[in-house]
Amino acid sequence: MADLAASIKELTKTYKLQSEEVRALRGVTFDVPQGDYVAIMGPSGSGKSTLLNLLGCLDRPTSGSFFLGEDDVAKMDDDGLSTIRATRIGFVFQSYNLIPQLTVEENIEVPLYYQGRLDPSARQRCRELASMVGLGERLGHRPTQLSGGQQQRVAIARSLVNDPYFILADEATGNLDSVTTDEILQLFERLNNEGRTIIMVTHEDEVSAHAKRVIRLRDGLIQTDIQNTDRVTNLKKEAMAKIQDPAKPQMERKV
Amino acid sequence: MFGLRTWILGVKSLLLHPMRSLLTVLGIFIGVASVIWLLAIGEGIGKKAKEQIEGLGADNIIVRSRKPPDEGAGGFSAPKLFGLTRAECDTIESTIETIGSVLRIRELPYKFSYAGNPDVKPIDGRLVGCTEGYAEVTRLEMSGVGRFLKDDIDVNVNVCVLAGELSAYLFPFEDPIGKQIYLPESQDYFRVIGVLKPKNATAAIGGSLDAQDFSRDVYIHIKTMEQRFGDTVIKRGSGSFSAQEFQLSQATLRVKDVRDVPRTANVIKATLFSKEGEPRQDISVIVPYELLEQAATTKFMFMVFMGLIAAISLLVGGIGIMNIMLATVTERTREIGIRRAIGAKRKDIIQQFLIETIALSVVGGATGILGGLLCPAAVDATRFVMEQFAPKILDSLPEIVRETDAVIVPLSIPLAFCISVMVGVVFGIYPAMRAAQMDPIEALRHE
Repeated sequence: MADLAASIKELTKTYKLQSEEVRALRGVTFDVPQGDYVAIMGPSGSGKSTLLNLLGCLDRPTSGSFFLGEDDVAKMDDDGLSTIRATRIGFVFQSYNLIPQLTVEENIEVPLYYQGRLDPSARQRCRELASMVGLGERLGHRPTQLSGGQQQRVAIARSLVNDPYFILADEATGNLDSVTTDEILQLFERLNNEGRTIIMVTHEDEVSAHAKRVIRLRDGLIQTDIQNTDRVTNLKKEAMAKIQDPAKPQMERKV
Repeated sequence: MFGLRTWILGVKSLLLHPMRSLLTVLGIFIGVASVIWLLAIGEGIGKKAKEQIEGLGADNIIVRSRKPPDEGAGGFSAPKLFGLTRAECDTIESTIETIGSVLRIRELPYKFSYAGNPDVKPIDGRLVGCTEGYAEVTRLEMSGVGRFLKDDIDVNVNVCVLAGELSAYLFPFEDPIGKQIYLPESQDYFRVIGVLKPKNATAAIGGSLDAQDFSRDVYIHIKTMEQRFGDTVIKRGSGSFSAQEFQLSQATLRVKDVRDVPRTANVIKATLFSKEGEPRQDISVIVPYELLEQAATTKFMFMVFMGLIAAISLLVGGIGIMNIMLATVTERTREIGIRRAIGAKRKDIIQQFLIETIALSVVGGATGILGGLLCPAAVDATRFVMEQFAPKILDSLPEIVRETDAVIVPLSIPLAFCISVMVGVVFGIYPAMRAAQMDPIEALRHE
């Protein structure tokens, strides 16, 4: 158990609309070992968003269990879920979701603030995270003064600040152009190489190609759950670029 | 958890919409300032009324004669005696033990002139028959040498004391002491033995006591008046002739112990009025002590009323805050969703929005207190401007408006501050609850 970041068993979720019941999830079971990089895919209506909300502890399942570490969060109350979100999950959203009136540094600090852990050493760590994602020079900027890629990097730094069990990325590259998407995906890959667990919800094959494992949902059930043998890594990309066009000088991108 | 950082963040959020925040603060500013203003003005009016009544003396009972309505139209009928008589006054003095002293006063409207030159136009004034105690009761002060009608003066000699203003009119260039004034109506001469300092007129108190102007008074001993002028006053005018007979205009009865005043007043009323207790048309009994209590009650009612008005303006201000906060909560739905997603509990969200409303209302309260403290200065300034530019309008206003000073009630400042914080909490709690009750998933999806 200890080496699992998350463990889901027979998770179901039923929404009650006025007359009919919508069974968004019909029993989903999978484990996420620590250090895994999972992409969750599926067409709309497949239960992808519902699973995301459950994984993010924003919602409670109708039945089943969801272990985050030793605790079954499926049975927690609202305050308990808030605490779990604050301590064990790092959110990265499609639309960055930074708080507009706060600076880069303050945005990164918010999760710690809600845990009452904002001491000088924690603030130092926030600044280190900002430098790690390449925004050490922009601590005092507001989100509106940053580009989309920069905002997303702030969001990633924020997701790391509480040392989460896993990073939950919801279409994290959906609003970005391809160059920036590459940058963000490289950042994720680097974090994964450092041992971070990443769960990424996406509908783009190019994005999921970077994951170690791809789970496909359909109609509220897992359709396939396969290890990604054709995984695109930076090394592979570089090698392929050399093969295709040996004359072209290699592009170096620093994150 | 209500740490400095939370406050700083709250203020930052408010400063995102400076105009909106300013207008919201203005609502509370007006509410708090009006609490202080209205209480200050209420206190000022109450204090003024209390001073006026205390001027009459709380241990006094005043029995005053009133001219009854004319009976029978036209023609001349023999004047009928009305009002308080000397005999009644003597009875009261000798039978009621709680009464210490009795001051008898008789007032007659008269014309006065300068004796040295009978051609000087006579001035309308008031001839007051009284004794030495009058000066003390009505707080008249002698100017320079001379004494008020001392009890040992010879009542058979015509001597008088002049009011300061009248003296200045009749004797503009000389010392009036020892000179004589002339009463053209009865062709009497009186020698001046003293002059009083000018004194402001007293205001009327409710419907029970008329305003008194002391500026054109001539004071003579009541015994002298009785001997010289009798009890019947005859007024001759062009084509009119009237006569009235009364013995005393007023008796001011001083009660030995102020606690006996209500009891004594009842005995006096019982003595003067008919057995059925029916009040007499020609006499009114004024008890300043009761007036004082009445005034306190009136003041209290007034303060409550003023407080109510102020409370309404605070309510309006509070609703303004609530309105703005509800709009803010809707506008910041997404922010609430983000905060919830990254670990904020419901109570964190409540706290955040509550702090913003409290910050708004405290700023409004603090500035409102400053505004409230300006009240006395503002009242003075308004009066000054009126005096300079619109003295006629000022004169036409009632005295209470002209002369009342605003008196800041010290308690109103902490009270106003507490009220403003309370308004912040009361009107902030609902928007904050609404923010906290939002579903984080819905809130995150909100555009």
